[in-house]
Amino acid sequence: MPLSRRGGIGPGLAFALIAAGGLAVTLLWWHDTYRVSGLGDWLTNAGRLTGLWAGYAVVVLLALMARVPLLERGVGADRLARWHALGGRYTVSLSVTHTLLISWGYAVLDHRGVIGQTASLVTGYADVLMATVALGLLVAVGVASTRAARRRLRYETWHFIHLYTYLAIALAFSHQFATGADFVRNQPARWLWSAMYLLVAGLLLWFRLLVPVLGYFRYPMRVAAVQPEGRDVVSVYVSGRSLADLGAESGQFFRWRFLTRGLWWAANPYSLSAAPRPDLLRITVKVSGGHSSALRTLRPGTRVFAEGPYGSMTAARLRRPKVLLLAGGVGITPLRALLESVPAAPGDLTLLYRARDADDLILRHEIQAIAAERGCKVHYLLGPSRTDHHDQLSAQRLIRLVPDLRDHDVFLCGPEKMMERARDSLLQAGVPRRHIHRESFTF
Amino acid sequence: MKRIVLSVLGTVIGLVGLLSFKSHGHTAVGATQLPSAALNRTGAPATSPGSSSTGAPPDPSSSPTGSASATSKPGRNYDGSAVETQYGTVQVRVAVTGTKITDVSFLQLTSTDDRSAYINSQAGPMLLQETLTAQSAKVDVISGATYTSEGYLQSLQSALDQAGIK
Repeated sequence: MPLSRRGGIGPGLAFALIAAGGLAVTLLWWHDTYRVSGLGDWLTNAGRLTGLWAGYAVVVLLALMARVPLLERGVGADRLARWHALGGRYTVSLSVTHTLLISWGYAVLDHRGVIGQTASLVTGYADVLMATVALGLLVAVGVASTRAARRRLRYETWHFIHLYTYLAIALAFSHQFATGADFVRNQPARWLWSAMYLLVAGLLLWFRLLVPVLGYFRYPMRVAAVQPEGRDVVSVYVSGRSLADLGAESGQFFRWRFLTRGLWWAANPYSLSAAPRPDLLRITVKVSGGHSSALRTLRPGTRVFAEGPYGSMTAARLRRPKVLLLAGGVGITPLRALLESVPAAPGDLTLLYRARDADDLILRHEIQAIAAERGCKVHYLLGPSRTDHHDQLSAQRLIRLVPDLRDHDVFLCGPEKMMERARDSLLQAGVPRRHIHRESFTF
Repeated sequence: MKRIVLSVLGTVIGLVGLLSFKSHGHTAVGATQLPSAALNRTGAPATSPGSSSTGAPPDPSSSPTGSASATSKPGRNYDGSAVETQYGTVQVRVAVTGTKITDVSFLQLTSTDDRSAYINSQAGPMLLQETLTAQSAKVDVISGATYTSEGYLQSLQSALDQAGIK
């Protein structure tokens, strides 16, 4: 059992730590720089700074994705992924800027053309050549991650392209010490910089490789059954031994790998759609991409490699006796598990379930049964997307359905747009921000 | 979109702020933190124990990789102090006849990396030439070779002080 399952590094603290590291890197430059005079010096030093920042940022990006429990718990997997996406764009931009500024700055200092200078830098220094290849890879990964490209790429393809960042980081590393003015003569800085890279490499190896592999042998899991749940939705039951020791809770998710020939290499995050049992877990998936549609063909007995549990949207977040679960579409799955197990007196628990039409409601019979047993209120908010005249998620509508809305803790899960709208309405209705708990899974 | 604008603005402002701090009179902070001795060009005459007008030249094994090597011309030689800069060591030798600088050369011009070596190879001869022309330490800093220039000027000043040339 983990010692502190509630704890973790909160978003504020995590952000402060990242910023402090950035400041330390800036101080390194400050310490090493005597004076900046003239255009060439300005450009070169701006290039050095952006390079240092990029070298640091890339480590932060990896750390965010290292599945460190303190971060997964405290910051939340969805926010980590958002930070990673934003930071990734920023880092690629920094790397490009660094390259342009250094080439230009050196050209000015040497009274040469930018192109000639760039060519001699690339051909004259092996480390710089490697770093140039790394830059190309980073830009390619960045392009593949833009919204326009993501719409066209399958998740699996995108994921595979993303792995090239490891190669890019390795290729770019040597030029930092071989040619970086802040490291050439500064042994302690080299040590610290290397330690930072090694630490993150260690975190990645430990939490993304060793822990899941050990877990796989300790909690061997297999597919127990696959059950269609209506239009384009399928539930997968996974059985195993002493699964209670995993410490999974309702509202959490695992990253699932099903060990068949076509699926083993992709780990997809799916929430538990029922409260975990010591011998049985269940996920419910809306079939959309290649991976999820293949789930329908899974055979009982298939081995399962599950990383987790992850996610901080659990009953541990509750601070008030009254609880509102607000689900949109397939976002019902973690809330369906919470509906079953979240501690609340009869009458204190409400589920609002937004869907396009009745056919899109999934797990409806279960929900009805649990609601009847626990004495919770359930409202289905059906209809097409929001229009000027008709908004199922307006503050007024929510208050009419749940009059004492502002006294609730709210769990919110659904598509990005729906969650934004719901959050605005909740805030407008007077629910404090700290009582809105949400997690989104858009990749 | 707002985020993009903010992060770009923040980065640019941060960069310009940091760089302009370094380009004004705030260099004392940086300079005092430098491991090398003060790089102060107009500072007090350097009288480091290593510098003497009659002493033997420094150990040749301290890798003089400069573009010029020590020469001996008629007149008297004065060795400047060896100045450590961030990118290497600079030490000059001045030959003086009467009050005229007849020759100036490098005893040491080392560099920490290929790029510094390249810069030194460009800036070194220019500094020597300017000194002979100016007949004093009133030599302009060469842009792009700020560190080497300032180290050079300090070493030169200490040699000229010994020679009694103002």
